[in-house]
Amino acid sequence: MRSLDVEVTESARLYGDTHVLWMTRPPHLANATPGQFVMVYIGEHTDPLLGRAFSIHRTREGEQGPEFAVLFDVVGRGTEWLSRREPGDAVRVVGPLGRGFEPRERVQRMLLVGGGIGCAPLIWLADRLIEEGREVTLLLGGRTEAQIFPAAQLPPAVELIATTEDGSLGTRGLVTKPFEELLPWSDQVFACGPNRMFEAMHDVARRSGLRKPIQALLEGTMACGMGICYSCAVFPRRGGVRLICTDGPMFDLRDLY
Amino acid sequence: MAHVDLSVTLAAGQKQELRLRNPVMVASGTFSNGIEFAKRFDVDELGAIVSKGTTLRPRRGNPVPRTVETPSGMINSIGFQNVGVGTLVSEVAPVWARWQAPVLVNIMGETLAEYGQLAQRLDGVPGVAGLEVNISCPNVEAGGLEFGQDPLLAADVTREVRRHTALPMSVKVTPGVTDLRPIVAAVSDAGADAITVMNTVPAMAIDVRARRPVLATAFGGLSGPAVKPIALRLVYLAASVTNLPILAAGGVSSGLDAVEFLMAGASAIQVGTATFRDPQAPWKVLAELREWCEREGVSSIGEIVGVARRRD
Repeated sequence: MRSLDVEVTESARLYGDTHVLWMTRPPHLANATPGQFVMVYIGEHTDPLLGRAFSIHRTREGEQGPEFAVLFDVVGRGTEWLSRREPGDAVRVVGPLGRGFEPRERVQRMLLVGGGIGCAPLIWLADRLIEEGREVTLLLGGRTEAQIFPAAQLPPAVELIATTEDGSLGTRGLVTKPFEELLPWSDQVFACGPNRMFEAMHDVARRSGLRKPIQALLEGTMACGMGICYSCAVFPRRGGVRLICTDGPMFDLRDLY
Repeated sequence: MAHVDLSVTLAAGQKQELRLRNPVMVASGTFSNGIEFAKRFDVDELGAIVSKGTTLRPRRGNPVPRTVETPSGMINSIGFQNVGVGTLVSEVAPVWARWQAPVLVNIMGETLAEYGQLAQRLDGVPGVAGLEVNISCPNVEAGGLEFGQDPLLAADVTREVRRHTALPMSVKVTPGVTDLRPIVAAVSDAGADAITVMNTVPAMAIDVRARRPVLATAFGGLSGPAVKPIALRLVYLAASVTNLPILAAGGVSSGLDAVEFLMAGASAIQVGTATFRDPQAPWKVLAELREWCEREGVSSIGEIVGVARRRD
């Protein structure tokens, strides 16, 4: 949870309207796991005031040492500012934050389901799982082809299945249908995307009667990202209240719905 | 380098004095109960900690969205999500008891009697050094703000708490009134040991695309650098009607902000929303304040308290 300036090493539009920002990785981020996030602070002044939460998208060895990346669509002032950072610029970050994905040991068939920009943390998870010698099927959904993470950027061993709402890439429709077909094959499911995708997936999983655990990475309005502002509440169906930033962002869907 | 005496005493001359090592506190609701911070940073360096707002029973808080960013500020409507005073006493206070930094528990009742019950439950609990009585929360249906907008009710709450505890107590007032002074005067006469000026400013934001308020509760409280000038004026006004120490809260983000509040008449300051932007903000404010005092040859913080006030 240290606050630290990191240096931008690469800033690029990776596909469609989606940007990737690579930064030097400070030592305390070395133990981060896929699904954890960082708060990135916008500008040096008080407007915009608050940090933005980003999943760690990937890590790599750069020329000057280890680097990490965040992946984002430009949707507001914060992401607009971030998209204009250039190599050499400083950006302040705090992290790693939250509880990430928890792949079980000794299981082989991993199904990763991403909606839109929700693919960001799943790419790093896929990298890791492939390194560990597991089978990875990555199911990505978007409105159109420009929203689908490019296959060429993935480890070759990852099987990519795409769905688009306009049919411009892969099957026309939502991820729900291929998810239903792949669920019996999978040993464990990891998901990141909008809430309505989680709801649909939970519904499919419940109807299947297969009792497969689905680890979902939730998103919510955050002011601090570290459990002090209480903005990012989530209310499990069985009662109580949890915070996305510290109790999650990873939740088992059965604990929520 | 010259040594600067930054210490501040609250409730001076009362049965239980509260001595702060320095005037930099953290504001309620922006530090949780401090447990997570204490694992990473040295909370004992701070003047005092103020707990998350605590109620008699646990509360789940308001629906989401609960916060929205605004120019140099944010609006929140958390609605007192907290573990309740019982769990606070049994699980949190024992941790506080090991700290050197004193902890004030921020309490909010839905009725007058609940304020008294809260005070009673916290009286004599190791780890609890004082109370901050919240009569100014804009985000709950019952209690909170309604007590803070009427001098008689504000005094009633103050007396009710005083009757149940000898703990040092600060009463936290709202900017959402036409004139703050009668309220400050009333709670001062009713037995408060300090006044916290101020809570958040009642506010709202609208989602133009969705054509509805952004926050689930429509209204919330504005905080952050945007409200600092408002808080500064209210501290200045409050100091004109009370001799009690004033704890200033409202947009403090730097050592110079702290100096401004001290010059307006505050004895201590609370760092709040700035901590959301940088978890180390309270420590930075303290370091900058100390540096400023050294540079300006200020040997005791008391030298600058209220110096900007008109002498008439």
